[in-house]
Amino acid sequence: MLRIEGLRVAVEGKRILDGVDLEIAAGETHAVMGPNGSGKSTLAHVLAGREGYEVEDGRITFMGEDLLAMEPEERAAAGLFLAMQYPVEIPGVSNMYFLRQAINAVRKARGEPEIAAGAFMKMLREKAKLVGVPEELLRRDLNTDFSGGEKKRNEILQLAMLEPRLAILDETDSGLDIDALKAVAGAVNGLRTPERAFLVITHYQRLLEYIVPDRVHVMVRGRIRRSGGRELALELEQRGYEQFAAEAA
Amino acid sequence: MAAARRMIEPAPFYGELFARERARLPGHGRSELERVREEAFARFVALGLPTQKAEVWKYSPIARFANREMVVAEAAVPRLEDVSAWFGGGPATRRLIFANGHLVPALSHVGGLPEGVRVTGLVRAIEEWPEKVAEALAGCDPECSFTQLNTALARSGAWIEIADGVRLDEPLQLLFVHEGGESAAMTHPRILLRLGRGARLHLIETHAGTGDGHCFVNLVCQMALAPEAELTLDRLELGAAGTTLLSRTLVELAAGARIRQTAVALGGGFLRNETEVRLGGRGGEAILNGLCMPRGEEHADTLVRIHHEAEDCHSDQFFKGVVEDRARAVFAGKIIVHRGAQKTNAYQANDNLLLSDRAEVDSKPELEIYADDVKCSHGATCGDLDEGALFYLRARGLPREVAASLLVYAFANEVIERMADERLRALTRRAVLDRVPGGAALEAEGLL
Ligand SMILES: Nc1ncnc2c1ncn2[C@@H]1O[C@H](COP(=O)(O)OP(=O)(O)OP(=O)(O)O)[C@@H](O)[C@H]1O
Ligand SMILES: [Mg+2]
Repeated sequence: MLRIEGLRVAVEGKRILDGVDLEIAAGETHAVMGPNGSGKSTLAHVLAGREGYEVEDGRITFMGEDLLAMEPEERAAAGLFLAMQYPVEIPGVSNMYFLRQAINAVRKARGEPEIAAGAFMKMLREKAKLVGVPEELLRRDLNTDFSGGEKKRNEILQLAMLEPRLAILDETDSGLDIDALKAVAGAVNGLRTPERAFLVITHYQRLLEYIVPDRVHVMVRGRIRRSGGRELALELEQRGYEQFAAEAA
Repeated sequence: MAAARRMIEPAPFYGELFARERARLPGHGRSELERVREEAFARFVALGLPTQKAEVWKYSPIARFANREMVVAEAAVPRLEDVSAWFGGGPATRRLIFANGHLVPALSHVGGLPEGVRVTGLVRAIEEWPEKVAEALAGCDPECSFTQLNTALARSGAWIEIADGVRLDEPLQLLFVHEGGESAAMTHPRILLRLGRGARLHLIETHAGTGDGHCFVNLVCQMALAPEAELTLDRLELGAAGTTLLSRTLVELAAGARIRQTAVALGGGFLRNETEVRLGGRGGEAILNGLCMPRGEEHADTLVRIHHEAEDCHSDQFFKGVVEDRARAVFAGKIIVHRGAQKTNAYQANDNLLLSDRAEVDSKPELEIYADDVKCSHGATCGDLDEGALFYLRARGLPREVAASLLVYAFANEVIERMADERLRALTRRAVLDRVPGGAALEAEGLL
């Protein structure tokens, strides 16, 4: 589904990703772990198409298409979703209206009919309940004055509503209390199907107890230094990233 | 010499026009009012018209519009369906409707108002209380040539007076339609408003420019609020390309009186909105919100002066601009805290979205403080749409243009939601969406 080859990315002349290779097949869940500043969010942003990153080298194909040639909205329509580490507050636009716009934009781009108001509300209520987003939050302005945890839950609500093919979760677990973590993990697990893939960026192996990954990758200084099974996360928890720092140097 | 360059002589047609029109003006034959008009006209000629050398007109070449050959606008008789699109308020809202500066009695309705509420057109007020009107006009705003011109030539407008303790819950609307003519036609409406002690009023003022021609509107609003009186003023300006609109609102607040004004300017070739507030008694409050969205070649200029003359008063200015194409937005806001006005709280913010390389924003917030125990702050920003917000919306599938329009709408909406009247808010939001790409689609999908 997703294939990243030799990806080199710089920001303002500074190399951040230094040859990333990663392949994710449909139905798989991959975790990326790594120290602060190692380039995890940069990778997520480049995948979603954020401006301001210079791709110096490498290729990314998504569903057989050249991802780097697509606009962010085209990537969304193609089924890519990024739950952001820092969701943006947008005062003046209600959360509910935004969700409907997003769904219809994606449908329109795929040549599907718009969702009917009734069907939308029904779906929204259902998913909001599943993720634990109260009604009140749906009527408020998008992310505006939401608590950290509410923002993260709202990202997962969008994920559940948009039903993407590949969902990237950038530290969705950071700042969540234990109940919220379980709710989010439950929602994600409910969305795991043989057609859908997940890329989960996290600092904590605890999340991986709930969302059990097929592969774990360790990113240090802009490159994936080691990949392994679920046990790699446990090893990291005990030994930290020191060993990789030496390898990277 | 320097003074001569800041002001220039009014074009000769003004003298001829005044000589010709004075006999047709309401109050003709009433010596006290005639004297006031004559004095005002003489003062106008003596002051002259400001050039861009005058500090407060630095960015706005008003003489270009005010000194071209103009005629006095003739009365027009619009039909109900020509004006109903701009109705604010509800089914019980009373309205005075003006076309080209003339009251349209057939469409206006101010009957059945509670006791203690007087709302009439200016002509009728002059007939009934000539001395009171003359007294209100005399000596008003002596340093402003446009006010003087208005005093000399005001032919219509409104007299609004609310007695002590009377609260009018239903809004009152003043609706102006300005039709552009072949040669620019000018009008000088005058609004005189007095609220008694503890009185309350919600006033809606709308201006709509129609037609392809030119018009020049020189509006003066004089408002005096007795102690504890409360005025809510929602103003919407929807001018046409040929509309030149000058509005000058002068507000005097006694102790504990409050004004909450929200003014939105969404069109007009040349708009200048001035608000000058005097907080003359302890505990007064002035909240001023404003939005302008010039595009094309439009010019929108906002001038605010807040005088804190008494202790313990509060003022808050919240102004925004969205500027596109080759348009220009000007904001000059000044807070003056006079000696002795301790415990003043005064805030001012002017935030602008600059959406094109050729658009321009000139923002000048100023503080002048002569007291020591005060809290004042001011700030101005000018920038493009937030890149992070734009990316967030696009990453959820919204095309770039739609995402941008949504963000512009959201930015503007922070001012619009401060309008008190629901119907006017809806009208204003639709007008905003008319001005952004893809706005109609956003509206169709239930944004409003
Ligand atoms: N716009 C930018 N300008 C300059 N430097 C940037 C920019 N964006 C990212 N960087 C730098 O790139 C590096 C990688 O940042 P990134 O956000 O990808 O790290 P991360 O692995 O997600 O870290 P964390 O675990 O703290 O979220 C950091 O050193 C960061 O300072
Ligand atoms: Mg990060």
